[in-house]
Amino acid sequence: MSSTSTTPAVAIEATGLGKRYGRHGHAALDACSFRLPAGRISALVGPNGAGKSTLLAIAAGLLRPTSGSVTVLGAAPGENRDRVAYLSQDKPLYPQLSIADTLRMGAELNPGRWDAAYASRIVEQGDLAPKTRVRSLSGGQRTRVALALALGKRPELMLLDEPMADLDPLARHELMGTLMADAAEHGTTVLMSSHIVAELADACDHLLLLGGGRIRLGGGIDDLTAAHSLVTGRGTADALAPHTVVESRAAGRGLTALIRRDGPLDSAWESQEPSLEELILAHLRNPGAPALITPGTTASAAAVTA
Amino acid sequence: MTTLIDPSTDHPTARRTLPGPDGLVWTVLRLHRTALWVWTAYIVITAGLLLWLWGPGADAAQKAFDTFGYSGAQENSYHDGFSFLGFGGSFDARFYGPSSLISLASCAIAVFAAGPLIARELERGTVTLAWTQSVSPARWLTTKLAVPAVLVAVGTGLLVVLYRLVWNAHNHLLVAGIGPRSFAFSLGPATVASALFGLAVGVLAALVLRRTLPAILAAGAVQFLAGAMRGNNWPFQHSPFSRLQPELPVYSKAITSSGARISDPGCYLSQKCLDRHHITGFTRTYLPSPDYWPRQLAETGVLLGLTALAVVAAFLVLRRYQPRTGRPKKETTA
Repeated sequence: MSSTSTTPAVAIEATGLGKRYGRHGHAALDACSFRLPAGRISALVGPNGAGKSTLLAIAAGLLRPTSGSVTVLGAAPGENRDRVAYLSQDKPLYPQLSIADTLRMGAELNPGRWDAAYASRIVEQGDLAPKTRVRSLSGGQRTRVALALALGKRPELMLLDEPMADLDPLARHELMGTLMADAAEHGTTVLMSSHIVAELADACDHLLLLGGGRIRLGGGIDDLTAAHSLVTGRGTADALAPHTVVESRAAGRGLTALIRRDGPLDSAWESQEPSLEELILAHLRNPGAPALITPGTTASAAAVTA
Repeated sequence: MTTLIDPSTDHPTARRTLPGPDGLVWTVLRLHRTALWVWTAYIVITAGLLLWLWGPGADAAQKAFDTFGYSGAQENSYHDGFSFLGFGGSFDARFYGPSSLISLASCAIAVFAAGPLIARELERGTVTLAWTQSVSPARWLTTKLAVPAVLVAVGTGLLVVLYRLVWNAHNHLLVAGIGPRSFAFSLGPATVASALFGLAVGVLAALVLRRTLPAILAAGAVQFLAGAMRGNNWPFQHSPFSRLQPELPVYSKAITSSGARISDPGCYLSQKCLDRHHITGFTRTYLPSPDYWPRQLAETGVLLGLTALAVVAAFLVLRRYQPRTGRPKKETTA
């Protein structure tokens, strides 16, 4: 669709990224390497404390990694602040400003980029009066204003940390629709963390699953689901070799397992493609499963560009 | 149909009154609008007090001086009554009120810089808002320092100039002693430098401590101590042989009916005595001291030097907040 000549083909590339809080604290990220191709709408999932927020804050240029390196839109994080939007989990806003002044601030701070009509449309969809002070907004209304501020600058890369957590289902559906339609139209890259897997399945075409500070599963959602099978049949988990068994459980007299195929599957097993939710849950429940990162999502050896 | 390169062509641009990088100036002024009003009110009230002292506020003391000379001015100051920060009391008491207000303001500047200006943003996380809206942390801190610095320097400078004018016009009405001497040597460019020092100390305290309350306490304490030291304790204003400021030369004469200027006959408040000496008026003024400028400039230099150090330290601390930008250097593993 639209020309991507000015956009680097890689939106984020991390190599051996590590972040430790405190000198002897636990490592939120540990040798985390991946590549997020430009133009993808990627879900960032993982259990609590897996390092999702840390990863997003590092990419936004707000946190300094302890080790490793990361490039964002081809440069060090923080070099391209005007082209990157970031929405943190707590969605800080200035409580003393009105909504109108908050959006005015977005215009003032993003000269040449700010799309006032788009930002105010997001606010107006929530029936918010521009004169209202941010202080008096509910959590969900604040989220809407914070989203308007993040999206109004028309970023090329959006880093969204639990963006819809406070919204009611209707507002969430509507805002997610706006966001995704817009991202698709403009070729925006989105990296979005969420716990609501169903929501991600509709919106995203790419997945990064974090666990223990590194990527356990990374790639296009279609590729990832196609690489796995949900099988049922008689037999034991051992009988599924050479396939990688991510998860298996007894079902009646037989077995249900989520496997990563290695070669053709024995026709004795009844097989179907897993849903994204099944895939994610299986991997979350079994953190010991070997990592799978598709070639497009693997950080290149020469990832560290100047 | 590329939309990535120039998103500003196909929609109305936002209302922008300030060009280019000045949007951050608007933001800083808007965020701290209350402080801006408070500062304006302080300047207006203090300047008003000074103007009043320059004009009608000195009338009673001037009348007493015209009749009885310095004794009259002294006598006037004894009818003191209650005075607080320049409100109420005699001319002599009121004269030092604005000076107390200026000292208070410099502490308030330190507290404001430590709390609302920086630490509250760090504590609430709103600082990430600016840092992810196309503003680099260094540019953010530069504006957060520069905008208040200009307002503080202009406001305090205005008051200092006004205060000097009042001093030049009415210093003969003040009761001699440590009061006028201390005042004359401390008020000047160093007063402005001290206020700027408060701003820098507040910003540094906030960036180091990262929390509002500790930063406010630390910055307020440092600025209070600096102010207390400035008064009488640190070396710049002293004479080499004493803990006090140097003497201020004073020219004081009584004027007789023949127009001759004689030394004060020491009549105190006796009209009879004045008549006997044919005294019809008095003149008295503090002469400019050759000690003033060397001391003021040395003090200003030291204060501005400390301010610069605090600012550099603030930027160095800020660098620790963010990832190294530019080329990735060799990485250190903790």
